[in-house]
Amino acid sequence: MFKRKLPWLALALVPAAVYASEPLTSWLFNPVTPVAHDVRETFKIMLGLTLPFLLLPQILLAYAIWKFNEKRGHQPATFHENVPLEIVWTVVPALVLVAIAIPAYSTLKKIEVPPKSDLVVEVIGHQFFWEYRLPRYDIGYANEPLVVPADKIITLNLTSVDVIHSWWVPSFGVKQDANPGRITHAWFKAPEGHYKGQCAELCGPLHGEMWIDVEVVSEQEFEKWLEERMGSAASAPPDSAHSMMLSPEPESEVVNG
Amino acid sequence: MAEKKQSLLLRYMSSTDHKEIGIMYLIFALVMGIVGGFLAGMIRMQLWEASGGVVSPELYNQIVTMHATIMIFFVIIPAMAGFGNYLVPLMIGARDMAFPKLNAFSFWLLIPAAIIGIASFFVEGGAAAGGWTSYQPLTSAQYSGTPGVDMWIIVVHLTGASSILGAINFIVTIFNMRAPGMGFMKMPLYVWAWLTNAFMILVGTPVLAGAVTMVLFDRHFGTGFFRPSEGGDPVLYQHLFWFYSHPAVYIMIVPGFGAISHIVAAFSRKKVFGYHGMVYAVAGIGVLGFMVWAHHMFTTGLSPAVRAFFAFMTMLIAVPTGVKIFSWLATMWGGTLKFTVAMKFALGMISLFVIGGISGVWLGNVPVDIQLHDSYFVVAHLHYVLFGGSVMSLLGAAYFWFPKMSGKYLDEKLGNIVFWCMYIGMSMTFLLMHWTGMEGMARRTYVYRPQFEGMNQIMSFGYVFMLLGGILFCWSLVKAIRKPVTTPLNDDPWNVNDIQGSLEWKTSSPPPKENFKTIPVVP
Repeated sequence: MFKRKLPWLALALVPAAVYASEPLTSWLFNPVTPVAHDVRETFKIMLGLTLPFLLLPQILLAYAIWKFNEKRGHQPATFHENVPLEIVWTVVPALVLVAIAIPAYSTLKKIEVPPKSDLVVEVIGHQFFWEYRLPRYDIGYANEPLVVPADKIITLNLTSVDVIHSWWVPSFGVKQDANPGRITHAWFKAPEGHYKGQCAELCGPLHGEMWIDVEVVSEQEFEKWLEERMGSAASAPPDSAHSMMLSPEPESEVVNG
Repeated sequence: MAEKKQSLLLRYMSSTDHKEIGIMYLIFALVMGIVGGFLAGMIRMQLWEASGGVVSPELYNQIVTMHATIMIFFVIIPAMAGFGNYLVPLMIGARDMAFPKLNAFSFWLLIPAAIIGIASFFVEGGAAAGGWTSYQPLTSAQYSGTPGVDMWIIVVHLTGASSILGAINFIVTIFNMRAPGMGFMKMPLYVWAWLTNAFMILVGTPVLAGAVTMVLFDRHFGTGFFRPSEGGDPVLYQHLFWFYSHPAVYIMIVPGFGAISHIVAAFSRKKVFGYHGMVYAVAGIGVLGFMVWAHHMFTTGLSPAVRAFFAFMTMLIAVPTGVKIFSWLATMWGGTLKFTVAMKFALGMISLFVIGGISGVWLGNVPVDIQLHDSYFVVAHLHYVLFGGSVMSLLGAAYFWFPKMSGKYLDEKLGNIVFWCMYIGMSMTFLLMHWTGMEGMARRTYVYRPQFEGMNQIMSFGYVFMLLGGILFCWSLVKAIRKPVTTPLNDDPWNVNDIQGSLEWKTSSPPPKENFKTIPVVP
């Protein structure tokens, strides 16, 4: 008897686990940016269109297991072909995929084409921290939260000085690789708040602790922060003319090479 | 009878018989499965608590890398090859593979590969730690200067050579050695699956070999294929790597598809539904499989047009896959279902693989993929495909063809427990990963945010079920092998010849040397 109940008990553990962990406040992250909202909408459309294809085989399978059990003692059917049916289950999924592709493409365009930028931030990946530069203000600093004004279009130019990293802040809908020798782009517009992310591309032993913190502050606070930054001697501003033209690899110390 | 005097070990070691080589592949895969499973246990132990603490960050990356490498190159691919070697010549009515000695060589290449792979844990700096993808420049001389990565490259070369030689052997065998009367459209679906698979290996694997050779040259001979300072590009490596490694996931599942078709038809007591559609679907998967690789690279900065193309091709591959799923369901429809352990594994595979397939469509959708890429959602998806798909179909195949191979049944009662352990354990471990991934848990990290701790503990608990299932499976194998044969099984223990039996059921169990007394003729 217990053996029969075991699968159900195990299944019951799944919702239990979801309940035990922090409440899932959102389906697919907590979107705060226009892009993240669009991603979530795309996800919902896709979910709605594909869920039937996820459930239908399971339901048919369960029904077949119940209905065609040999214990019912009927003779097996002999059909093994039905061309119209086969055409239907080839064409219908294909059409659904086209239907998914359309909203996906418009969201992709939104991700790709940022509106006019209010602030350009250069993001440089290091093992195992992030360096941020604000060329307009001659500010550069590393291993501290990125501070940006709220509700402004922030565009990011990303690169890396060593291995590939990936700048990922889930609630912004942004995940963009920072490749050595290349510059990639991303953008976001977020309300005030503190947002967390982390490096998403395996970059070495301490990859797991390469966190990202973003402080999105009001414009006044941002001005204040800028003044403090520009006034303090501690932050040595990088030469903005050379910014983003880093020599990616100091080759002198090649091990084993 | 000089043969009798040889010890069993010596007989197998010097064998060129496709059946004995097949069995050696299967034993090899099982042994390596224990190693890979052990590493998986280490991962789940480390992730029991958000702050980690069982292994060092360096060792954690090595474990993750080698768990994947072992499971892919030493477990799933060789296990598939094991069944393929055993069954394909039997199913086409041949006496052996086309090149028996080459066949033995393909297998024996795996032994040094496995030794080098495991030994790499014990060299200076430990095993390769750049993930099984070994992205550049993380595994370049500058950032991983120790020999681990070199040993990983040799492992890839040896296993790749083994696959390529095996693939050539399969293609020549299937093209030239079919029994009289067996046209291509009369070949069993399992043979079709292997033919497609062999072509995929032949097209894809050399590209991977080229890519890792370029890494080796960058590491030791001063070239700069992937070094930006030398005009190279790390993203190029990703293109080359995924050109093989995406098709590789189909290489790991297509023979499983073939096996599922046979099992479902056998225990529904019906001919497989839509044979022609199934053949076209497998061939379609084989072709489309090569046009989707860049979907692993949606965050690298590819242009939107390229991403849109690869997204569409990726989603399109769901169509032939869906044809297979629906055809299996139609095969069951109106049948008389007998729930043997093999059938349970086949049905379990269908239900799990549908989840893995649909989550694959989600991942093909670029904006969604950008969010889910390199998160635990991807870990969930790939394990649904590789465990839920490949491993479940391999276990089903084991229960289905073990009587043919040994003349004895595997214990069905024990088999039921094995099945439920695997099904429940796999679901507990990997289902929740979809949620943690969607909420932002990154993969390949030895620590994570505390809010995911509860779910991770359930996942780690699920591992225990799979471990138990694995132990019971091994035990049932040992038990069956040691049990003396009292009454030899008949040729067709599952009674499939009256429905759609393929030729392996027309010879004795186990088959004699050279397979058939007289070569069968296919009407």
